[in-house]
Amino acid sequence: MAGEVSDEELMTRIREGDEEAFRVLIERHQDRVYGTVARMMGGAGPEAEEVAQDIFLRVWRSAGTYRAEGKFTTWLMTVVRNLVFTRAGQRKRRKDIDGEDRVDEETGESLMESHPDGSTPTPLANLAYADLAKAVEEACRELPENQRMVVHLRQYEGMEFEEIAKITGMSLTAVKALMFRARESLKKKLSGYLTASK
Amino acid sequence: MANKRTSEGGADRLGPELEGLLSRVPPPKAPAWFAAKTLARLREQKLSPKETWSWRLGWRWMWAAGTAALVVGWVLWDKPAQPAEISDAMVFAALDALVEQDEENRWWAGL
Repeated sequence: MAGEVSDEELMTRIREGDEEAFRVLIERHQDRVYGTVARMMGGAGPEAEEVAQDIFLRVWRSAGTYRAEGKFTTWLMTVVRNLVFTRAGQRKRRKDIDGEDRVDEETGESLMESHPDGSTPTPLANLAYADLAKAVEEACRELPENQRMVVHLRQYEGMEFEEIAKITGMSLTAVKALMFRARESLKKKLSGYLTASK
Repeated sequence: MANKRTSEGGADRLGPELEGLLSRVPPPKAPAWFAAKTLARLREQKLSPKETWSWRLGWRWMWAAGTAALVVGWVLWDKPAQPAEISDAMVFAALDALVEQDEENRWWAGL
């Protein structure tokens, strides 16, 4: 391949109905979208997968109105934010978020994240990691939606506050205030791990 | 205060310790089949009844057509009805025809 096609170019091709361009765009951004949805909805699983797919289908439908004015990822994450908040609102009306581990319906395996370094940890290390992962997941899940979104975009997507403000539709000060409150909550909830890791 | 800010990496950051902890638990990655399933759903939606002529036409055109129909309907409804005009000559001609018919009937009846 001579050079990577830009997201904007892919969107132009998608507007013309090019499914191959759509596939490339999905593969390029699927981890970002799925990861955000999973974090926002309280974990990986069929529901997060469906919502992430809905987001890409919305991208396909919105290709006609898309204007390459800013960064594509900012626009994409705005779509993510809108759909995730809508779904979260619908879900909140249906049931309270449960704290159980999610299991893949097809394989029966736990959908909790795998160990990030790719090594084969000992059972004890595995247990410790699972414990930590669960604690972090729970601490994030207990944050209000806006705070969770800001933390995720800043921490895992490495976005600037200006970009986050655009995505969330809030002022820069409001975003920073959310970050501050999220930090205080997370520190309180994960205090056991923070003191242990010192 | 200054020490606190330094140790936490600034007021608008999570702080190195918390950031380190969170980075050990990255968000999950999309499953391997994700792109294929999304494309399959796209094709399915293209074929579904929702994607028929009304969908392709777009809601804007549908809305415009609906509004136009309402406006035309309202204009026609508001238009004053034309009173039926019958001239005197037509009335007399009809009466003459009735009288002539009556005379004919009487002749046939032998009256």
